[in-house]
Amino acid sequence: MSEQIEQAISREYEAGFVSDIESDTFPPGLDEDVIRRISKMKDEPEWMLEWRLQAFRSWQKMEEPDWAHLGYEPIDYQEISYYSAPKSMKDRPKSLDEVDPELLRTYEKLGIPLHEQEVLAGVAMDVVFDSVSVVTTFREKLAEAGVIFCPISEAIREYPELVKKYLGTVVPRTDNFFAALNSAVFTDGSFVYIPKGVRCPMELSTYFRINELNTGQFERTLIVAEEGSYVSYLEGCTAPMRDENQLHAAVVELVALDNSEIKYSTVQNWYPGDENGVGGIYNFVTKRGVAETNAKISWTQVETGSAITWKYPSCILRGDNSVGEFYSVALTRARQQADTGTKMIHLGKNTTSTIISKGISAGNSSNAYRGLVKMGPNADGARNFTECDSLLIGDTCAAHTFPYIESANPSAIVEHEATTSTVSDDQLFLCQQRGLDIEKAISMIVNGFCKDVFRELPMEFAVEAGKLLEISLEGSVG
Amino acid sequence: MLKIEGLHANVEGNEILKGLDMTVNPGEVHAIMGPNGAGKSTLGYVLSAREEYEVTAGKVSFKEQDLLELEVDERARAGVFLAFQYPVEIPGVSNMEFLKESVNAVRKERGQEALTAAEFLKRAKEACKQVNLPLDFLKRGVNEGFSGGEKKRNEIMQMIMLEPTLCILDESDSGLDIDALKVVADGVNSQRSDDRSFIVITHYQRLLDFIKPDFVHILADGKIVKSGGPELAKEVEASGYAWLENHEEASA
Amino acid sequence: MSQWLASVIDRANSVDDWLRPVRQEAVAQLKQTAWPTRRTEAWRYTSLHALKDLTLAEPTAAPASTEAPAITDLNSLDIVFVDGVPTTDIGSLNTPEGVRIYALDNASEEAQTQAKKVMNQAKNASHLFGLVNDALAQQGVVIDVADGAIVEQPIRVVNYVSAGVESHNRVLVKLGAKAQATIIEHGAGQGNSMNTAFAEYLVGDEAKLEHYRFALHGADAIHIGGSHFKLGEASRLNSTIVGYGSQVSRIDTDIVHAAEHADAKMNCIYLLAPSEHFDLHSLIEHAEPNGTTEQNARGIVGDKGRAVFSGRILIHRDAQKTLAELHNRNLLLSRGAQVSTKPALEIYADDVQCAHGATIAEIEEDDLYYLQTRGISREQALVMLNFGFIQELVKQMPNKALSAWLEPLLRERFKTMEPA
Ligand SMILES: Nc1ncnc2c1ncn2[C@@H]1O[C@H](COP(=O)(O)OP(=O)(O)O)[C@@H](O)[C@H]1O
Ligand SMILES: [Mg+2]
Repeated sequence: MSEQIEQAISREYEAGFVSDIESDTFPPGLDEDVIRRISKMKDEPEWMLEWRLQAFRSWQKMEEPDWAHLGYEPIDYQEISYYSAPKSMKDRPKSLDEVDPELLRTYEKLGIPLHEQEVLAGVAMDVVFDSVSVVTTFREKLAEAGVIFCPISEAIREYPELVKKYLGTVVPRTDNFFAALNSAVFTDGSFVYIPKGVRCPMELSTYFRINELNTGQFERTLIVAEEGSYVSYLEGCTAPMRDENQLHAAVVELVALDNSEIKYSTVQNWYPGDENGVGGIYNFVTKRGVAETNAKISWTQVETGSAITWKYPSCILRGDNSVGEFYSVALTRARQQADTGTKMIHLGKNTTSTIISKGISAGNSSNAYRGLVKMGPNADGARNFTECDSLLIGDTCAAHTFPYIESANPSAIVEHEATTSTVSDDQLFLCQQRGLDIEKAISMIVNGFCKDVFRELPMEFAVEAGKLLEISLEGSVG
Repeated sequence: MLKIEGLHANVEGNEILKGLDMTVNPGEVHAIMGPNGAGKSTLGYVLSAREEYEVTAGKVSFKEQDLLELEVDERARAGVFLAFQYPVEIPGVSNMEFLKESVNAVRKERGQEALTAAEFLKRAKEACKQVNLPLDFLKRGVNEGFSGGEKKRNEIMQMIMLEPTLCILDESDSGLDIDALKVVADGVNSQRSDDRSFIVITHYQRLLDFIKPDFVHILADGKIVKSGGPELAKEVEASGYAWLENHEEASA
Repeated sequence: MSQWLASVIDRANSVDDWLRPVRQEAVAQLKQTAWPTRRTEAWRYTSLHALKDLTLAEPTAAPASTEAPAITDLNSLDIVFVDGVPTTDIGSLNTPEGVRIYALDNASEEAQTQAKKVMNQAKNASHLFGLVNDALAQQGVVIDVADGAIVEQPIRVVNYVSAGVESHNRVLVKLGAKAQATIIEHGAGQGNSMNTAFAEYLVGDEAKLEHYRFALHGADAIHIGGSHFKLGEASRLNSTIVGYGSQVSRIDTDIVHAAEHADAKMNCIYLLAPSEHFDLHSLIEHAEPNGTTEQNARGIVGDKGRAVFSGRILIHRDAQKTLAELHNRNLLLSRGAQVSTKPALEIYADDVQCAHGATIAEIEEDDLYYLQTRGISREQALVMLNFGFIQELVKQMPNKALSAWLEPLLRERFKTMEPA
């Protein structure tokens, strides 16, 4: 049976084409000069350059972490190009009509129409291609509500006070090796600001694509939700199929002020490499949010791509009664490796967090959940519930669970459960006896396994995620 | 419709079926009785192509096709339905979702249109009502946390929805109280028709008070050792299977 | 390197006995080993600061003889060590049939052969203090149970450590095929002592081992040790580990399923009085198919106490059809108490059922309420519920003499742990 399963889950990476777009790309290498040039390309104020340089100097003294359950060849940071932009973007297009048609075709191929009239109703989109933001839709409509949604490079110029106030407050420049690198060289990403009491009128979404060879992508996202506001933000990502590994090291910071709510969803589908583990994106991401009094931060992620995933979206529950959530589906196959999970740091009283993690491993892949739940001495009445389930498909993959649980408060309650299971022959036989073919049966069982997480995704993405999983599992047969 | 000739089958290297013959015509109900471990469930699994059950000799034709050539799901789509003795749980996959996929897969094979959501729901509700399962069972995971009786009724519900031509019921009565038993029997009886046949595997004759068989077969040690009409079931009820041993000695 | 560790190496170099090759190998490894810091995963929550520059007296050759703590109705065969030195004449023990017992420093060929069969066969080769024990333990006991021997009388190794002394000792046990035995490692002591005590068990095919380890040291002690098991085909292990906290207390329990169909059950209990520390590290490794493991660890932590639990289940690729479960439950009695728990699963085989759970909680108000409605005072209800949680595991101890002895001890201790 397991051979059939193997066959059923091998798949083609559908977003793997390369767009033929003329680009300005820095030669590989990283030094202070490169950082100055990035800053200059972005037309940044002096303080921003200084901030980057300080990050760079710290980074040079730091060591790449090796505690994750991952194995990969050392990354040569001097062989990566730290900036690449389509030539046509030199002067950022004012409207879609000015966007390179090849670029538009790229997004059409990916099923992401950029023309506002065609865009999913109610979703505003920022699109980042290699190192630059290509287009942001629905800006006027958002502006009416006072919402700012723009490339972060633009925010640094247009809203320097806001950026200065919050950038690096959640993920400090020297937080970790990859965050420091990102702080030094980040090129683009999204900035979102929701004013006090405003419920953002539409879903905000950023779509990331790496296109150029040998470039790294280092985006930085900052979302600030003022008191009593609400925003739902989605990100998606893809990259061409290449034999070389490419580095993606992003930082996302969420600031949820009193009584606000931020819902952050990710569908990560970077190129995972081929069956033999050649190529694929190295995905090292630092995502963290701070929730103040009564605020709520919810992370939902569907991770199917990347050769290596190193990612722990976290919540610092600083305010009393604040809420953190983490819902994750991570699927690895072929030679993919994932080490992902979350940290819930309970500082305030009556803070609550929920962690639901579903790992699916197949092929020769390795899938690890790593999490920290920490109850501080003042977290009276805090609660955490964690459920980590692993599904193993075939006998050559691996699934791991590494939860760290620390409590220093007698009234805090932590409950953690983890299980492993497989797609049993009995389940497959039942499905097949009822007329389903094996691919359908597997995808149904896996979808059932992930249901608790899919429920948390915004509608548009839930469909995409389900489809993505199905494609990921679907195969050469038929 | 179904013709089994000289069927031998192994499980993990042990021969369980040892030359079984049986013919089922459209519209007939055949009951199979026999002691524990006789090979009754094995017969059901072999007919629905379960992997560990290996056919070593014999022929099975179903509606003029060689049944043994077909895969599990192909047989299901061709109209073979097995109600499991021990139904499996599939966490997270709702009954509704599961049924919709399978009903439409089977319909597609028969050249029928997929059911609309509304039509599907209507039928599913009716089927639930027929086996006395509350409607919210449709939303729950397949057999997830169901009681033994609920699982058995759920199997019959699926049978009603899938409209198979050959229904194999493997001890659909075991573990049921008399009311639940009637529900299951009524469900089955409502599906009886001229072009649908049943193989009813049971341990007790009491089910056969409610589902009247046309034929009763006694399966022992991998073979049909005796066949007859409904009266044979009564005989078994009265005297148990002890007489079989004599029979075996006699035939040995 | 810490001053203490440097002295370990010096001391090991000066010992010249039949174990010298083992000591030299350990010394070579110790020289390569960095002193653990908070960044060292295995010592993340246990500070070794108190040990770093420790200097205590070496054990004297003839320590004051101490009686083994009496346990009513246990009728065990006792082998007593005081500060690592045997006070029992091991050579003239009246051993049950099928059992041979040797002192580790017995230079006879026979004793050495038996010791070598077990030594470093089950122990984690990279454990810092396991290496220290290799380097320094000169005394200990080798127990050999013949194939098929069913030994009714429990064998108890008492390890008493007294104030101001550093000592090391070793227990090596081999259970032949189809043999059955009960072995108790009983650690006790007072004052600021330092002791490492490592035990290794080779459990033969279809053998049954009932095992207890009591680490009942004083609040000022530093006690580091381990009980390591290697299980043969269809063998069975039933183990109970009971620990009080100390200044530094660390026990590693490792179980390796080295053959098919082995079955292991382990219960762990820790009760930490105010300001005590206790660190239990457990590794359950399934290398072969069809094994089962069930582990339950429960602890109660008093004011400023710190409990650490790390439970790892590792399932190798070949270990299909494994069933393994691990549960850790903790109660914190007051605001200053802390617990860190890390239950990990590492799974390389698909057709297995593994689960772990960890909880940190207070007693449920509903349960308290229920008892109160039955006329029990809130205070008493709290004791009943808190202690009940531990008692459940005490009751599961197969040896009734031991559970009858342990229960009141733990109950007394629990009363002293309650917040004022
Ligand atoms: N998967 C299996 N593996 C090994 N033996 C099996 C398996 N399934 C059935 N058997 C054996 O086959 C014989 C017939 O079983 P079964 O068909 O379930 O009997 P019945 O349903 O008549 O009680 C029994 O001896 C049983 O132990
Ligand atoms: Mg049966």
